[in-house]
Amino acid sequence: MRLWMILLIVATLSTNPAKAASLRLAIVTASNAEVTNRGKSFAGIQTRVERPVKRAVELALFESKTTFKEFGITPELQLIDIDKKRPLNDQLKEIHSDALVILDLPKSVFIEAATFLDKDGHTTVNVRHPDIDLRDTLCLPSLYHTIPSERMYFDALGQFLIYRGWRKVLVVHGPTDEDKSRTQILVRSLEKFGADISDLREFTLSHHPDDRDKNKPEFLTGGTSYDVVAVIDSSRDFGRYIQYSTRRARPVVGDVGLTPVGWHRTLERYGAPQLNERYQLFDKKNILPATDAMSDEEFAAWSAIKLITNSLAVVDSISGTLDPKKILTHPDAQVDLYKGTRGSIRQWNNQLRQPILLATGEAVIAVAPMPKFLHPKHYVDTLGLDEPESRCKLR
Amino acid sequence: MVTDNQLLGFNSNRQLVACLVAIVFSTTALTSASAFEAVLTNERSGSVIHIDENGSTTHLTPICERPRGMVRGPLDTQVIIACSDDHKLVVYNRATRTIDSEILAVPGAMNVALHVATNRLLVTNEGNASASVFDLLSGQLIAELPTGLEPDGIVITDDGSYIFVASENAGLVHVFDGASYEEKDVIRTNLRPRRIALLKDELWVSSEMGSRVEIFDILTRKKRGEVIFAPKGFRPEQMTPVDILFNESANEAYVALGSANHVAIVDITKREITKYILVGKRAWGLGLSPDKQTLIVLNGLSDDFTLIDLETKRPKLTKRAGLIPHSIEVFE
Repeated sequence: MRLWMILLIVATLSTNPAKAASLRLAIVTASNAEVTNRGKSFAGIQTRVERPVKRAVELALFESKTTFKEFGITPELQLIDIDKKRPLNDQLKEIHSDALVILDLPKSVFIEAATFLDKDGHTTVNVRHPDIDLRDTLCLPSLYHTIPSERMYFDALGQFLIYRGWRKVLVVHGPTDEDKSRTQILVRSLEKFGADISDLREFTLSHHPDDRDKNKPEFLTGGTSYDVVAVIDSSRDFGRYIQYSTRRARPVVGDVGLTPVGWHRTLERYGAPQLNERYQLFDKKNILPATDAMSDEEFAAWSAIKLITNSLAVVDSISGTLDPKKILTHPDAQVDLYKGTRGSIRQWNNQLRQPILLATGEAVIAVAPMPKFLHPKHYVDTLGLDEPESRCKLR
Repeated sequence: MVTDNQLLGFNSNRQLVACLVAIVFSTTALTSASAFEAVLTNERSGSVIHIDENGSTTHLTPICERPRGMVRGPLDTQVIIACSDDHKLVVYNRATRTIDSEILAVPGAMNVALHVATNRLLVTNEGNASASVFDLLSGQLIAELPTGLEPDGIVITDDGSYIFVASENAGLVHVFDGASYEEKDVIRTNLRPRRIALLKDELWVSSEMGSRVEIFDILTRKKRGEVIFAPKGFRPEQMTPVDILFNESANEAYVALGSANHVAIVDITKREITKYILVGKRAWGLGLSPDKQTLIVLNGLSDDFTLIDLETKRPKLTKRAGLIPHSIEVFE
């Protein structure tokens, strides 16, 4: 069954119709392939919020109404929900040729879709995967990343631990390949900023008594000295039981406890409360409770649209259809991220540079880069793959 | 004297109470600067405080929920304060230390401007994407002006012909006819325009996320120039300018640089930065003493204010304010 539809958001008519232009956007999802278990752990326990990014895109368009009116732009939003039974490429061909494509797909089809759309001349945005390989190996000139990379997240955490003086880190990680590769990235970040790894330990989900050194938090965190425990548990199955059960009374960071995030509901400064309130209230037919805020994926989608609408002035003249590539490749493109520092695109790997929040469930404890971590060129480029260490060198 | 706990709002019950004011024994004045009284709004502690030229807090009045923008009232004893979370405006009398009058139902009142000749009070409504114009004497709503999201800075020209409103989210300054309230023009600014200041035929707009002040011609609305900030040891993107204040007799403009914790002194005619002065955290509100010898800087994140001697261009002292000091008006 074809599950696509076209949604037209008609902005108020331009005061200067001669300049009228369209901004075409498309969101590509695969909701029917992954409805059941996104963000869920064993027994259906929801351990993190993973929502479709559509609401955040609509919020960005809602916020840009005055700007669209001023620039004579009409946004058009197309939604493509990939049907597993039909060939992927056929469905991707339905995307308007000038559209900026927000890719909200699981990793298994993400690379295939991004590669096809690159060859097809589209500009795409990764709003979901912090994976390093998409930046360093796939390295497509047409693919932008507005979700922070894993290195940005872990560099923020590494800076925070050093800033706090918690240098000795016990790393506890899960058994999956994803856990292991993310652990490597974490260790690289920690070592980059001068932390000492007390030990690397793997947990198991087995409750068998023979496995007690790996399944009991008290044993898992015993027999070594450390200032803090860093937990990598991509599926959130075990890590959440480590807090308050460590052998020593030490804080827990990483995938649980103090966590590096792109956005948070409790950020008090930089206009963030207004943005959070708008996110809850702008859709009058579907008002969200005051405890809800954008997930990192939604914030990434919102950032991508706002990067376009905040940077319309960099394009000399707008007529017909606005080419998003013209803005995204422009060195002056910038976005107000409500995080204290403006965001912009790293020219070498198309990553959106941005501050990272270090937050618990209740509060944003710090905003990285932390004080005294300085960069010769750009304030936030101490976070993530900097130009010299990036294997992707696009521009 | 007002105690630290009172400044934090712990002892206040948020009602207007007659506060005893102890006599301030200022045996030696710090400089030759002449006396002044300044009124500060404290956004988080819900109070206004009175300070003197020595930086002493002489009086504290609990005023309302989230007092932010403030402007001088029609009388020399009055200030008008935007109470954001109480959705109202209050006319506060600094002599009697009581509220003279209130205008209610002003959604998300953020910043205020007064056109003295016509007694029109202009307010930005942060949550509403609009600005409102009130008759100050009757409290009646005269006009509602649609703006972009998160309107903050608002000004009206002395002759009352133009009203300018900066919308933070939209990156636009809306221009309205001061008599008919029709939208005349829209000025595109850099990221997050915050405050607007008028200087003869120029409009200075601070762009908080664009790290600059942009200067526009009032009549043509064309951009005439800009001042980009970069103190030593900082990256440009760390500059988050907010308040702009002119001292025309000295040919100087002062710009509070927010998270960069500095105030910049700008040569008005050359549009060049002549000095950066280190102050407290997130410097945003600015006030100038009547003798133009002292610049007062409100530091929103360190909950204090800094007095700067404008002769030596050095900070004289920094004293505790309430929680999140926001705006200041200075009187003789």
